[in-house]
Amino acid sequence: MREHVALLRKLLLSSNRKSRLGAALLALCIGTTLLLLSVMIWWNFNELLHGKSDSDSLGSTFLTVSKRVTDDNMGKPGATIFTPQEIEDITKAPQVQDAGMLISNHFPVYASLNDKLGFATEMFLEAVPDRFIDKKPDGWNWQPGNTQVPVILSAEFLNLYNYGFALSRGLPQLSQSTVKTISLDLKISYGNNAQHYAAHVTGFSDRISSVLVPESFITYGNKVYGDNAPSTPSRLILKVQDASSKQFTDYLARHDYVTNNEQLRWSKVRAIVAVVSTSTGVLAILLMGIGTLVFILFIELTISKAQQSLTLLLQLGVSPRYLSRFMLRRFLPMVLAMVGLSMCIAIAAQAAASYWAQDQNLQLTLLPGWPVWAAMGVSVLLLVGLVRRSVVGAIEG
Amino acid sequence: MQLSLQQVMPIPLRDKLTQRPSGIWRQDLVLQPQEYVFIQAPSGTGKTTLIHILYNLRQDYEGTIKWGADDVKKVSKEQLSSLRTNNISIIFQDMRLFPELTAWENLEIKRALTNTITPQTVEDWLARLGIKDKKNSLAHTLSYGEQQRVSIIRALLQPFNWLLMDEPFSHLDKANTQKACALIKEVVTANNAGLLLADLDEPHDFPYTKTIQL
Repeated sequence: MREHVALLRKLLLSSNRKSRLGAALLALCIGTTLLLLSVMIWWNFNELLHGKSDSDSLGSTFLTVSKRVTDDNMGKPGATIFTPQEIEDITKAPQVQDAGMLISNHFPVYASLNDKLGFATEMFLEAVPDRFIDKKPDGWNWQPGNTQVPVILSAEFLNLYNYGFALSRGLPQLSQSTVKTISLDLKISYGNNAQHYAAHVTGFSDRISSVLVPESFITYGNKVYGDNAPSTPSRLILKVQDASSKQFTDYLARHDYVTNNEQLRWSKVRAIVAVVSTSTGVLAILLMGIGTLVFILFIELTISKAQQSLTLLLQLGVSPRYLSRFMLRRFLPMVLAMVGLSMCIAIAAQAAASYWAQDQNLQLTLLPGWPVWAAMGVSVLLLVGLVRRSVVGAIEG
Repeated sequence: MQLSLQQVMPIPLRDKLTQRPSGIWRQDLVLQPQEYVFIQAPSGTGKTTLIHILYNLRQDYEGTIKWGADDVKKVSKEQLSSLRTNNISIIFQDMRLFPELTAWENLEIKRALTNTITPQTVEDWLARLGIKDKKNSLAHTLSYGEQQRVSIIRALLQPFNWLLMDEPFSHLDKANTQKACALIKEVVTANNAGLLLADLDEPHDFPYTKTIQL
């Protein structure tokens, strides 16, 4: 049997030039690799931009918007408050998926650190619906009667303290973990009485520049210690599909709303990345198509050159199916090897990207995401199908 | 296995062949198993066409040809390959060897399909037909006579019910023809098969049961 296979190889494959085969395989490998890499790039950016990671460091889809304070409205109380109609309207704005109110306290709050440091300040508190909090810490809840209040502080505030205030005043810089151990005394005025609460910083937010407490605390405080006026937010937090969308930015400009420009800038980067990864994908599909075509043409050329021998073999009674299988056994392992090689390159590239991302303080998985594996699977199915069709079509007619 | 022809007429030769009487064309004919049939025909009357039609190499004809119960026009490619491997063998007029293979390799590629003949037997047959010394020569370097003998041996390397031969000794002298006829008769008998030989007018050394004018 082995001798028979050797004879078939001599008859059917001896016209193969190794350089041509190498070129065809190289074309296939480059096409497949580019396809897998473009899927990988697209998926990685997708993960960074839309992923479930808590970090907002790249192109957040959460924006806080407020009304612009102008010379005209700066003296008018309530001029920068969002009305219920405006809130309703903004939830229907282009690209907006969700909107939440930042509710602030309508009661005086005094915070003091302790007697020794003598740190005391008036301050404000805000609350947002929990779904808008990027890093919801453990124990993030408050019920009437609790004397402990969890607080989420903007990471930016700590930076301002560490690099501005502390340095200029010769005060010690504080790490996030140190801040979490400090207990603040919150004094809430209540007519002539005052209520004290122990506030603990339980987390830091990259997303919201504020001092956040659970929504239930603000609601309770406004009702019990405040004027019990309805919640009138001056800032809204929006979950936006694509903040760089022209319709969305036009909407903001039209209503004279302002937001975090830095986040919009990231959104523009994201839009550019989307265009780049899409065009890379299109190019990769094109290249893979060309690579596949070159390889298929190589197979068809091989069969065509061996046509005389094939015809005689069939006349002598060799089964067409046996001949197809013989040819497929020759070419399919090559296809699988090339896709395997491309996948290895993609895995190596993903690992490199993951290490690079770590250096940039971003998170990427060490192994390629499922779309890359899916693309590999589809490539294998497609290539095997095309090669099979080409061989079987040429031999079995 | 019975071979039957019903009103067969090759389309390209229709005009030419309808002008002369024939025992095959446009006739109903049944060839019984184990018959020895000699098709006698002058040049240009369609001998090779007949053999190719019978072996299902071409289908440009009117009428029906059956191998047993199977209409050859309707058998699948896989069925055809099985029939050619186990039931019908052929010696082509133009030999049809693989020029890039040696005489031995040409035989081996056929022998290995069914493995019913041992390599030692092949060696013996090469010796009987006087071409043992050519077994490792490339087919395209062999003379027509040598190629014809390789082609004859190749046709005998499988089980068969019918052996079709198209001018199988055209390049052989009388002595070599006799040796080849003896070998063919032996193997046909061993297979309980029939043979159908198309040639000009040489009757050869076969005990024909039927001679038909084409």
